Amino acid sequence: MADVMNVGVNLEAFSQAINAIQALRSSVTRVFDSLKDGMKNKETLEGREKVFITEFQDNLQSVNRDLNELERLSTLVGRPSESHPLHNSGLLSLDPVQDKTPLYSQLLQAYKWSNKLQYHAGLASSLLNQQSLKRSANQMGTSAKRRPKVQPSTLVLPTQYVDDVISRIGRMFPDMSIELFRPNGTSAVLLVTLGKVLKAIVVMRSLFIDRTIVRGFHENIYSEDGKLDIWSKSNYQAFQKVTDHATTALLHYQLPQMPDVVVRSFMTWLRSYIKLFQNPCQRCGKYLQEGLPPTWRDFRTLEAFHDTCRQ
Amino acid sequence: MLHKKLEQLGAVKQGNFWVDCETYHATGNTTGQPSKLLYVMHNSETPLSCMALFEGGPGLSADANFDVLMVKLKSHFQNAKGHKVESRGARYRYCDFLVKIGTIAMSSSARGISVEVEYCACVIPGDCWNLMKEFMQSFLGSNTPELPTVFTNKPEGLCVPVDCMDTMSQYLELFSKVRKQQVMPGSGVR
Repeated sequence: MADVMNVGVNLEAFSQAINAIQALRSSVTRVFDSLKDGMKNKETLEGREKVFITEFQDNLQSVNRDLNELERLSTLVGRPSESHPLHNSGLLSLDPVQDKTPLYSQLLQAYKWSNKLQYHAGLASSLLNQQSLKRSANQMGTSAKRRPKVQPSTLVLPTQYVDDVISRIGRMFPDMSIELFRPNGTSAVLLVTLGKVLKAIVVMRSLFIDRTIVRGFHENIYSEDGKLDIWSKSNYQAFQKVTDHATTALLHYQLPQMPDVVVRSFMTWLRSYIKLFQNPCQRCGKYLQEGLPPTWRDFRTLEAFHDTCRQ
Repeated sequence: MLHKKLEQLGAVKQGNFWVDCETYHATGNTTGQPSKLLYVMHNSETPLSCMALFEGGPGLSADANFDVLMVKLKSHFQNAKGHKVESRGARYRYCDFLVKIGTIAMSSSARGISVEVEYCACVIPGDCWNLMKEFMQSFLGSNTPELPTVFTNKPEGLCVPVDCMDTMSQYLELFSKVRKQQVMPGSGVR
């Protein structure tokens, strides 16, 4: 900022300008104070009004004066020049065509911006690290140097094992059918058909459930090129709500060491939706609330609640 | 009044709808039995198709060119002009429900009102009948009907996904009722 070597800045005018700002602030405060206090007690109404108006006018005029003074001083202060020689990069500022290629000023801005970004990122990471948000049992590579042996990680599992686990879970529930596809590499995509109520597409990352999307039984699950459509939302609000609840569920059921238990509990929870349209809400007793059936299933008791009725 | 109630509930008007029905007599009956009536119906929900049904009997859904085919079959089926019934009105959408309220007109004289409620998210009628009943009660009050006979007549009617033919059969029943009510214009709720 203001460098002693800079001749562009008039320090005298600068300090006078600061004083002028203070004067302006106090006069503005006086205006608002007088407004807040209201009319002083005088004998007649006219007398009161007159006194109030004159006081108000005086205050406004003092504000005007101070503002003019400040403007005058600000023209004297002058602009600090932008050509700070910052070691070697200052050599860039020697380019004579300053208007067409404002390289040096842009460089300064980029540098300031990246500093700020680094600072904010540091703050964010320290805050986030306070909460352990990991669902998988994986060691971070902080101690990469002193680890000669390989740590077992649940993030990398053989695909055959994943297939076996899924088929075993699929056989557990007679009214729920699970089909496994691998359209993109090794991560499995499951198509869960629950009775004649809904179809859910569950995208997995080895045995961890990554995301899920729920659509009605009669809705189209394939996109135009014949592949499973894992992105577009359901057309019906009821199933959009169920998708949100399913996402909450997959974040709720967490057990880093035993992912197959997690998948099993998630499927048990999902199976409770077979009576989505038949069960009334346990709390209010009605079927519909704002046009939606009870879409929330409690994680422990699997009871049906409306989204607005849940505790 | 129904429109106001629906709008109070928060339904959004989404345009208009129409359903119509034409009657054809089957000719060329040698045994002297009363000729069967064939009904050809159209629905604005499925504008490219035509449905043809016998009363209480089998039905088929076909392309829009079926109308042209009926003209060509003039020797076997005669159009009973003047028996054409149609229902026209507004279409509302409330959350996942579609409600259509229309005036039933037969030869340009209004005969009654038809109300159609469809819950789009579910395909099994048995599952969501209670849900629909609750919804209908909220704006129809005491006029809420019972489970349509088209589902109770079929052996597993309540557990099978619905079809557009079921909707048409229900409309047909309503139109027949309205046709029989020649004198007093009533309000048939469906």
